[in-house]
Amino acid sequence: MTLPDADLPSADEPLDDSDFGLLGEIRDMFAAADPMPAELPDRIRFLLAFRDLEIEVARLAAEQDELVAARGPEQSRTITFDSTTLTIMIRIDANKDGTVRVDGWLAPAQCREIEMKCAADPLSVTSDEQGRFAFLRVPRGTAQLVVRPAGPEETGRSVVTPALIF
Amino acid sequence: MDDRRTGPIMTGPIATGAGQQNRPDRGTRIARLMGAARQGSEDALGQIVTELSPLLWQVARAAGLNAGDAEDVLQTVWLRLVAHLDGIHDSAALTGWLVTTTRREAWRVRAAGRKQVPADHETLDELPAAGPGSEEQVIVDDERRLLWAAIGRLSARCQELLRIIAFAPRPDYGAVAAALGMPVGSIGPTRGRCLAKLRTLLADEAGGAWRDAS
Repeated sequence: MTLPDADLPSADEPLDDSDFGLLGEIRDMFAAADPMPAELPDRIRFLLAFRDLEIEVARLAAEQDELVAARGPEQSRTITFDSTTLTIMIRIDANKDGTVRVDGWLAPAQCREIEMKCAADPLSVTSDEQGRFAFLRVPRGTAQLVVRPAGPEETGRSVVTPALIF
Repeated sequence: MDDRRTGPIMTGPIATGAGQQNRPDRGTRIARLMGAARQGSEDALGQIVTELSPLLWQVARAAGLNAGDAEDVLQTVWLRLVAHLDGIHDSAALTGWLVTTTRREAWRVRAAGRKQVPADHETLDELPAAGPGSEEQVIVDDERRLLWAAIGRLSARCQELLRIIAFAPRPDYGAVAAALGMPVGSIGPTRGRCLAKLRTLLADEAGGAWRDAS
């Protein structure tokens, strides 16, 4: 149904308390029907902590869940991130003790220091010449990968992934 | 509870969330936080993120992004803000910049064609079914169904405007409407056509009960 403007003389009246009340109801309705993930602001705050570094932010390029038959019903996730200079692929497998194992590959292959910012103290490993790296035990929760320049004398930029949830 | 029953539906007490979020001084508070954030306060910047991310979430979702893409877009937009913070001086400019940037980034992601969901009318197809709740909750749910149905009869542009404005700081309505490409005066300081039309529709659907304050 389309109402002609002539039926809406009240459009020119100032916003009043019932309008604000109505907008409040609309807000509550959409907040219930399509809620923002509650932890998203914290993940963004986490990401902004890098803002003083010279960084490239990698984008999530692909994500895939697969059932790994050999390990029973446990799911393995493979996630690929792309940035201008680097592709990062990681596979996440559950450990029996409740932590996760993260195996990763950098392309192009290169030795880089890789830090995992996570719920506990940050973990740090170095990729080998084939670009492979592994974090054997990462606590579940929010985590984020930072691929640092290869050495202290290097001037390259760090590459940061969006925050992940394991 | 009795207030909800006997009062006008849409102006009953708003117990949580919206009432607080929409206080008139919200813009002043954000402006103060921006000043502190420019001085390098991580906490102030974080508070702005917490304050305005729910608004940007609705912007990204109203643009047709799925939840995962919307999260990516919000992260990108906030990171980009950090580089622009020095050039943004008041709450309205900040809110306008964030809404514009979120919408553009959302379009960019959608155009890239990844995990795209149909945008048109996607959001208003169905109000999630209410679980078992108190009598008060049932009354609230009935009110929401009426409101949901009425909003669904508005034009797509009005739906987007009202959905997003509802999450914006009150003094920034004009800036948000402008960021959405709506004409000046589409909302704030006057009611504007979208809200006026919604009120007319609600009055029709509820037999006029909602506006009867007496």
